[in-house]
Amino acid sequence: MAAITTGIYHRSYRSEQALRHTTVEYVRLSLAIAALLVLPFVASPFWMTVANQVGIAVVGAIGLNILTGYTGQISLGQGGFLAVGAYTSGLLVARLGVPTVLAVLIAVLTTAAVGAFFGLPALRLKGLYLAIATLAAQFIILWVVRNWTAVTGGVDSLVVPRPAIGDSVLRSDFAWYWVIGIVAALCVIATRNLFRTGLGRAFMAIRDHDIAAEAIGVDVVRYKVLAFAVSSGFVGLAGALTAHYRSIVTFERFTLEVSILYLAIIIVGGLGSILGSILGAGFMIVLPAIINQAGQSLQGSFLARQLPAIQLGVFGLVIVLFLIFEPRGLARIWQRAKDYFRLWPFRY
Amino acid sequence: MKRTRPLLVGLFSLALLVTACGDGDGGATTTAAPDDGATTTAAPDDGATTTAAPDDGATTTEVAGEPIVVGAIFDLSGPTSDVGVPFAEGAKAYIEWLNANGGVEGRPIELLSQDYLYDSAVAEQLFSQFVSEGAVAFFGWGTGDTEALRTRVTEDEIPFQSASYAETLVDPAETPYNFVPAATYSQQLRIALRHIADEAGGEHVEVALFHHDSPFGLSPLEDGHQYIADAGLDIGFQNYPMPGGAVDYFGELSQASAQGAEYIIVQNVSSPAGQLARDIDSQGIEATLFCLNWCADELLVELAGDATEGALGVLPFAPSSQATGDLSAVEAYLSDTGQSLDEVNLHFTQGWYQFSVVVAAMEYALAEGMDLTGPNIKTALEEMPPLETPVTSAIKFSADSHAGMEDVRVYEVQDGNWVAITDAITP
Repeated sequence: MAAITTGIYHRSYRSEQALRHTTVEYVRLSLAIAALLVLPFVASPFWMTVANQVGIAVVGAIGLNILTGYTGQISLGQGGFLAVGAYTSGLLVARLGVPTVLAVLIAVLTTAAVGAFFGLPALRLKGLYLAIATLAAQFIILWVVRNWTAVTGGVDSLVVPRPAIGDSVLRSDFAWYWVIGIVAALCVIATRNLFRTGLGRAFMAIRDHDIAAEAIGVDVVRYKVLAFAVSSGFVGLAGALTAHYRSIVTFERFTLEVSILYLAIIIVGGLGSILGSILGAGFMIVLPAIINQAGQSLQGSFLARQLPAIQLGVFGLVIVLFLIFEPRGLARIWQRAKDYFRLWPFRY
Repeated sequence: MKRTRPLLVGLFSLALLVTACGDGDGGATTTAAPDDGATTTAAPDDGATTTAAPDDGATTTEVAGEPIVVGAIFDLSGPTSDVGVPFAEGAKAYIEWLNANGGVEGRPIELLSQDYLYDSAVAEQLFSQFVSEGAVAFFGWGTGDTEALRTRVTEDEIPFQSASYAETLVDPAETPYNFVPAATYSQQLRIALRHIADEAGGEHVEVALFHHDSPFGLSPLEDGHQYIADAGLDIGFQNYPMPGGAVDYFGELSQASAQGAEYIIVQNVSSPAGQLARDIDSQGIEATLFCLNWCADELLVELAGDATEGALGVLPFAPSSQATGDLSAVEAYLSDTGQSLDEVNLHFTQGWYQFSVVVAAMEYALAEGMDLTGPNIKTALEEMPPLETPVTSAIKFSADSHAGMEDVRVYEVQDGNWVAITDAITP
């Protein structure tokens, strides 16, 4: 249970619905935003690339968290949906010359439609069975990408021209940081608001007990498909961003490993939590990068030969430790840290 | 929780300790000569390199002058590490030898390199890092990461040589900064098909292509079909993807048998090819194995033993026993480190001579009075005269083609050794 802040009185619905109530919360938020604004000016190119990869993963993780964390529909098709978003947006820009922003929007809608289609098995399946059904989505989508040569170019990579704002082309990591950052921020705000609406509450009702939700009047059929659609829309956005950021699309970037990575992100970050998506994405991409950098400084010592094994081992160990000690993820750890300071010297 | 918390703290501290116990400079490994211009190729005292340093008594030439920074990524622990490790060792050995023998016009090469685990995301991160640290040329590895970095390489104007020999990389109109020193996979396949057609003497022959299930494996396929059509060869050609992690290929082989394949061309690395060779032998299939460059090596013979007897191969980089030139530089380096030419496989000399191509371009650029920048090195690569190496045909790029080699000899495994059985074939 989170510690309740006391002594806050609301005199209007508007103030009750505000996202932040106390000064401390505003200060923390300001510090976080300040850190994000300062980062591109102090980070090395290596860390800028990592930051951009994290930003894109945040958008994808939010999408998956809407589906799995908030609606309780487990999905292993993440890689496939990323591919749909990336290829749709990339093909529209590369082959048809559609402006990038429009192409991204069309990609989002297309992926939402594809996601809704592959979400239809969810109406009859739950849990592990649904996971296998969505795994089918992963394989089918990749098979289509690899074999629909006329449209996707098959296994050849697709080069996507860089988007331009006026005269300047969006090329550097620095420029992309701002674009990806703004998109990620908008996604966070949109999702936060989504779960303050009836639609969001319906999703959570389905997660908690779908039969009871049906009983109180939630149209489970409609909302399950809608959950897949909304989630896939976010994931398609992440895929489209990937295509334009890297300016090259290859099917190899959207394999089953990516689907599992995203599931790991939301589990480590915290299911059903937007902060969890952000922390999980950051953690799961920055940790291997740190180990990589540590590996560079270790070269030459006896550990160097073992380092790749250590890298994989540490990565797996971290996930296992999380699941044992804090299955509710980083978001819960953060919550407990806040409570500790709020309640100190009391324990609860 | 009370008992496990100390355990958690202990594990975390151990992890921090391991990270902290690294070398102080915190940078990528370098094989630069130490700053005082000392005359040895000894690694700096903190042991930052992973290759053995020769004795201090080796004869060396002084190198002093501004280091030339070059970036490289190697696969030392990923799925292609069986060929990646000797390649990396050969490349690093070459740089060490070069720095000990005059460098590039007296300037040492500073090689920034890292194992990237065959992960394209890591390749992108490392590319950003090394370019920001001043790299003027870059050595990539696999098809996946070379493709992923293609546009960045062009934007950043960094000449990029890869161990991926995909034909999509040799058109300067599409990939102006990518260079492929060896014969491309498509060219190797054409050479193999030409050899098969010549051996068949005009009769119809069925050929199967067993390939890695990835862009690397699929790279030569379309061009193979196209070549059969263009050259009017009477060859029935089918491809069979080799699934990753498979323990045997009986299913694919039974399909190839049903096709009646007399030749099985393999576009894969040595380990799966070795498994395939053993499966062909155990199934008693009457087909000749024909390996393209990444599986036609000593490792294949080691893995599959007698099953490889009579196998054919296209080897753009010849094994040292079949060298057509003088390998004394490699021998000298190896003897300094207590090894001999017989102990290293052909991927070692491949890494050695592949890196020498860019160094030759740098020497040409400096001789022409150009500064060593990315675009100048690219121009030098295109304009320099054909480069003769002891283990390859002459390597020559041009402004119209970044494919360095058009012809390669065909080899056969005889008594466990790859022996050249033809002259260089141009398909």
